[in-house]
Parts: sequence; C-alpha cells; structure tokens
Amino acid sequence: MVGDRWNYQFNLQSLMKKILIELVITVSVILAVWVGLSQVDWMKLLNIEHTGQSTEEKIGDLFWNMLKKSEKEITTETIVGPVDSMLTRICTSNSIDRGAIKLHLLQKDEINAFALPNNHLVVYSGLITACENEAELCGVISHELVHIEKHHVMNKLVKEIGLSVLISMSTGNGQAESIKSVIKQVSSSAYDRKLETEADLTAVDYLIKAGIDPELFANFLYRLGDESKVIPQQIYWISTHPESKERAEKIIKHIKESGYIKTINKDTISFVRLKEKLKSGL
Amino acid sequence: MDCSAADRAGDPELDLEHIQRTMIATLKFHYEPSEHEAEKASNSYVMSLIAIMGGLPLPIINLIATFVFYLGNRRGPYFVRWHCTQALLSQFVLLPFNSAGFWWTISIIFTSEKISSPYIAYLITIVIFNLAEFIGTIYSAIVTRKGRHVEWWVIGGITNLICKA
Repeated sequence: MVGDRWNYQFNLQSLMKKILIELVITVSVILAVWVGLSQVDWMKLLNIEHTGQSTEEKIGDLFWNMLKKSEKEITTETIVGPVDSMLTRICTSNSIDRGAIKLHLLQKDEINAFALPNNHLVVYSGLITACENEAELCGVISHELVHIEKHHVMNKLVKEIGLSVLISMSTGNGQAESIKSVIKQVSSSAYDRKLETEADLTAVDYLIKAGIDPELFANFLYRLGDESKVIPQQIYWISTHPESKERAEKIIKHIKESGYIKTINKDTISFVRLKEKLKSGL
Repeated sequence: MDCSAADRAGDPELDLEHIQRTMIATLKFHYEPSEHEAEKASNSYVMSLIAIMGGLPLPIINLIATFVFYLGNRRGPYFVRWHCTQALLSQFVLLPFNSAGFWWTISIIFTSEKISSPYIAYLITIVIFNLAEFIGTIYSAIVTRKGRHVEWWVIGGITNLICKA
C-alpha cells in the first residue's frame, strides 16, 4: 500500500516534470521560429512600403478628397473663421486636440454635418443658416465631435461595410462609384441608437464645459424635428437622426441630472455676420 | 473540471512506460472503446476543426465551440471525456499566440502601429503552428474514430493529469 502510494507520487512528479519540459520546449520553439523568421527583411522581400498612414487615415483622406471634388468647399476666412473658433472653444474646454480635427465647410443647402474617418468634420452651409443661434451650431458640432472622439465612425464603417472592403479601398482598389456610395452612407445615415445617444449626451457635457447653453441644442432638435415633416429632403441631419424629439427629451433629462445652471449666451458678432454672409450667397 | 490527479493512483496513463517520443503518440488505451465512444471522441476534434473554419480570424470561437462540446460530454465514458478534454486543452496552447497576432493586426489597422518584418514573421510563425495543430487535429479525429488512443505533446500529459477514470 505504502509502495503504491510512493509509486504514485513518483509517477505524478515525473509526469508534471515531463509536462513542464514539453511546455518550455514548445514555447521556446515558437519563439525561436519567430526570432529566426524576424531576421528576414520581409518588408523588402514582399515589396511592402511604409505609407506612414493607417487604414483609417487613408480611408478618411480618400473620402474627403472624393467629397471635395464633387462639392464646393468654402475657404473664405470670414466664413470658416467663426466656425473654427466655435470648434476650438469646444475642443479647448474638453481637452481635445484641436490640431487633430480637420474642419471643412461645404457650400450646400442641406442641413447636415457629419464626421469622416481620420478626424474629418464636415459642415454644410445649410446647417449654419438653419441654426438660430451659435449654441445650436455648437451642439451639432459637439455631437459630431463625440462621434470622432469615441471612434464611432470607423466602428460604423467596419460594421456596415466590412473591414476587408475598407482595407481594399485604402489600398487604392476601390471603385469611385463604391467609394461615393460609402460616403453617402456615412453622410446620410445615422449611427445605431446607442451611439447616437452617447453622442448627444456627451455633446451636452462638452457644451457645459465650454460654457454654452445645452438646452439650445435640445431646442434645435425639437424645432427641426417639426420642420422635417414639411421639408424632410433638406434636413438631412434630422431625417438621418430619427426620433429627434425623444432625443431632445433625453438631452433635457441629462442637463437636469448634471446640475447645470443656466447661463445666458449671446451670439458673437462674427456668427451674426457669418449667417448674413451665407444667406446673401457668400 | 471533474478530473483530479489524486484519484488516479495506479492508472495506466500515469505509468511512464509510454513516454511520448513524437509530437502525437498513438498508444494503447487501458480498455477497448466501443464504436459509439470512438465516434464521439473523434467528433470532439471534428468540432474544433469546423469552428476553426467558421471562427477565423477570431481566435476565441474554436475554443468556445470545443468547450461547449466538452460540457456536453463531460459525463460520458472515459475515452470520450479524455479526448474531449484533450481537444479542449489543445485550443488553449495556441490561443495566447493567436490572440496576440489578432490584436497586433487590429492595432496596425486602427492605430499608428506599422507593418514590420517582426509582424510578418510572427504571422508566418502562428500560421505554421496553427497548420501543425490543424493537421494534428485531423489526424487525431481519424485515429480516434478507429478506436485508437492518441496523446498530444504537452496536452496529452496535462489531460492525463486532470482527467480521472
């Protein structure tokens, strides 16, 4: 009996020792193969070049360049300047790297703004003229900024388009028509409800930190929600972001919960002039 | 797991007469498994093969599938349980290496991380070892289907250690 026990202990120890040795050998062999293969200059061998850009950067720049060709970009300083100042204000107050955000204004009547991969933020002139005050525009900008900051854009594209298609596009294999259809999808379809709510509520936090009244952002949603029933084809930002009233209610609830003390915001002179300029056709 | 080494005194698997000399050793099991047992044991390997094909490139899918199969057979005959355990454990060996490769790829796609020779070498390495595991799994499925017992390098020993008769 004692002999059996001793024999068992001996066998168990030997088995564990064997397992340990085999495990160490296996891991060592894998590492050795890796280190060995790493000595080969695969980059040169497979003719791979560093582009210095990630897939997201390439996709974002590809989309923006395509969009720029089909739309008219506004570069006038008196128009871009005020919007740029609003964006800078929101970014600075929320510790967001302003230099990383690429703001683009496009001359188009559609009430729309959207984010593209690689931190491109596109705002249509139609949105600016539809905003009754600066805070409303800041609300929409903040909302899109959240999509950028929380990586919603690539998340959405990967989910809807697929990673392989995106990689294929980024390596220059995408057809112009398919790229255009993806841009259309990004600019005219909403993110899923969870992401939209996250963007709305975080936008409220951004606005509060920037000292901008977030209630005006909720008002904007209410107002355009009503107007979209009359002219839905022009109000892209609302038609593509459904249940705007429900969203406005969530925003109001979040404002109340955050303990926000209402401040009176007056529009800057540059915003008033900006609207006048845009309404008069630049 | 319902397997323990303490209950295994005198088990033939603990006698080191059959020390493995190859990566996958075909050994004599201490009883003759029935046709039904051989089929089920073989299926545990087939399951991981199907999951590998369906689950690529997510390295966790085949592990989950094999684990589900293991749960379904953990109260089965010893031969079936033993091979379900080996099939399950076999998924763990390459899992950390595959996961590292997967997240390395994701970081190249989404961050500023760049493709490099060590990355390509790593991919080739894990492809080689996954291929070896794949072939080993096919071999195990065929051999266990014939009612013969196979023990994998490392995995066989761990399975012997934890799976009680």
